[in-house]
Amino acid sequence: MLKQLAEKDLLRLLERIATRRRLLTPQRQSDGSRLLLPWPGGLPELVGTPLQRKPTEIFFPQLELLMELDNSGDVRLPVPADKPVALLGLDHFDLAAIAFLDRFFLSRPTDDAYLRRRHDALLVGLSGLAGPQGATLPPAETCDLELILVPDKLLARPHAKLGEELLAGFTAADPTALRAIDRSPAERPATLLAAARLLQEDQVPEAFWEEIAARCIACGGCNFACPTCNCFGVQDRTFGNRTERSRLWDSCQLDAFMREAGGHNPLGTETLRTRRRVYHKLVADPLRWGELGCVACGRCDRACPTGIGMLALCEDLVRR
Amino acid sequence: MTIPASLYAPRPCRLLETSDLTPQEKLFRLQLADDTSLGHQPGQFIQLSLPGLTEAPISIASSPTRGPVFELGVRRAGRLTSALHQLAPGATIGIRGPFGRPFQLDALRSGPLLLIAGGCGLAPLRSLIQYCQDRPEEFGAVHILYGARSPADLMFKDDLAVWQRSDRLDCRTTVDRTPAASCYDGDTGLLPELLSRLDFDPTDCRAVLVGPPPMYRPVIAELRRLGLDGDRRIMLSLERQMRCGVGKCGHCSIEHLSCCSDGPVFWLEEVENLRGAL
Repeated sequence: MLKQLAEKDLLRLLERIATRRRLLTPQRQSDGSRLLLPWPGGLPELVGTPLQRKPTEIFFPQLELLMELDNSGDVRLPVPADKPVALLGLDHFDLAAIAFLDRFFLSRPTDDAYLRRRHDALLVGLSGLAGPQGATLPPAETCDLELILVPDKLLARPHAKLGEELLAGFTAADPTALRAIDRSPAERPATLLAAARLLQEDQVPEAFWEEIAARCIACGGCNFACPTCNCFGVQDRTFGNRTERSRLWDSCQLDAFMREAGGHNPLGTETLRTRRRVYHKLVADPLRWGELGCVACGRCDRACPTGIGMLALCEDLVRR
Repeated sequence: MTIPASLYAPRPCRLLETSDLTPQEKLFRLQLADDTSLGHQPGQFIQLSLPGLTEAPISIASSPTRGPVFELGVRRAGRLTSALHQLAPGATIGIRGPFGRPFQLDALRSGPLLLIAGGCGLAPLRSLIQYCQDRPEEFGAVHILYGARSPADLMFKDDLAVWQRSDRLDCRTTVDRTPAASCYDGDTGLLPELLSRLDFDPTDCRAVLVGPPPMYRPVIAELRRLGLDGDRRIMLSLERQMRCGVGKCGHCSIEHLSCCSDGPVFWLEEVENLRGAL
C-alpha cells in the first residue's frame, strides 16, 4: 500500500531500519557530489546528482579479504558483519546494476564472498522529483521499498515483505498523488541499443576501434566507475606465517589483464582491449545473461578523461 | 544465514615426489591431505595455491584411473611456478578444483583418435592418453603426435618411450630443430608435416589438440585437408590466464565464454569464429 511520509515519519523509518541494519544514506560533500555513507541521523540528501560512487561497491568492494592462510595449509574465512546493510536512495540505474551483479555472482557456483555482504541487505529505491535540479527519476521498483518524491510530498511504496513491515503504521497516501509526476518506466538510450545491434551484426570496422583506442589512456577509470564491472584479480600479503588473500577490482583496459606467464596475451593491443570493453557489455552479456551489461548510468562517461565512455562512444559509433 | 562453502579456499595437498621432465619443467606427484581422490576427469585443471604467491591454473597430467595420487607437469614461468620448483617432498601445497569442462570421452570412443600436443600441451593430454591406456577396450586406434622445440624440450620422455613401444599406441614426436650431437631419432619439422605423413582412416576419426596458440590454425588446416571436416571432429583445449577457475574473475573470457568454466575443452566449431580464441 502507498504511504505518505512527513519529515518526522521519514526519520522514524530511518530509525526503524537502523535498529537492525547498518544504514547508508546519501550525503552531500563539499564539492556538491553525493556519497552513500553511514547515516549520521537527520534527513538524508535525497535530491541531487547521481551517487558519485557505484553502490555495487558495497557488495563487491574494491579490495576484499577472501581468507587468511597459514603455511600449514589452514584457511580462515572472514566473519560476516554483525548487521546486514541497508542502502537508501538508489535510483533505477543503481538498482539495475545491483540486479545485474546479483545474477552474476549468485548464479552457480555461488560466490560466497559476495553473498556474505549481499545476504539480507535492504534496498531502498528513489524515484520522482529527486534528480538533479528537480528532474524526474523513473520508477525504482526492484527493491524492498521505494521512496517517491512528488510535489510537496514524500511517498513510500513497498515492493517486498520487508518493505511492508517497515512501512507498517504510517499514513496511507492517496494513489492519485502519483499522477503529478511522470511514472514512465526507464528505457535504455536508443543509441546504446543501436550500437549493440551494430556490434551484434559485426558491422563495426576495425578502424573504429583503432581510433577509439588511440584516445584511451588506459587509466581503467571506466571499469572502476562501472557498477556492473565484475572482473577481479587476487593478491596475497604475507605477515610472518600468515597470508591475507584478497581480491581487488581489475581492469580489462590494462595490458596485463589477460597476459599469461608464458607471454601469450589474447588482449595484447589497446585496440583489442577497447573493443573488449564495449563488446563485453553489449554483445557478450546479452548472450550470457539475456541483457545488456550497461545500465546507461553514465558513470564511465563522467570518469573518462578522454571522452570515450560508453554512451559517448556509442553515439560516435552510431553516427558514423 | 547459510553461506555455501567458499569457492576460493584451497584444500591442502601433500607433495609426494618431484622429478625433472626438462630443464624448465618438473613433474609433481600430489595427494590430498585427507587421502581422498581428486575426482577429476581428463582435461580438467586445478588452481594451485602457495601462500604469498596467490594461484596459478595447472592442468592435471594424470588419469583418474591411476588412483588418488595425481600428477602435474609444471613449467617454471613465473614467481609461483619458480617457488613450486624449489619445493621438496613433504611440502604442503593448496589446490582448488578440479575445474573446467573435460575432454568429451563419449565422443572419443567412436573411432580412431589423433591426440596432438605441442610443448606443455602434453601435460593435459597425458591424462587422456593414460585413460586410453587403462581402458583400451573403450577406444579405437590411438595416434599420439607430439611436437617440441628441441629434443631437450620433450616432456615426459619416459612415457614417450613406453608409448612408442606399446602395441596399442602409435606415438610419434617431432622437434623444430635437432642439435648436431643429439641422439634424438624422431622427426624434425612442425606438427602439420608430421601429421601429413600419418597413415590413418579419417572416417569417424576425432582429433584432440592441446598446445601453444600458434599451433592451432596450421594443425587444424592440415586436419581438414586430411578429411576431418564438419562438426564434432576436432576438440581442443585452450590456455588462458584463469585466476578464479569458476567463471567469476573475467580474466579468461573469450567473447561471451569463460575459458575456465565453459572450457578449457571446446569443440572447434564452438570457438573458431570467436575473436581471439585461436
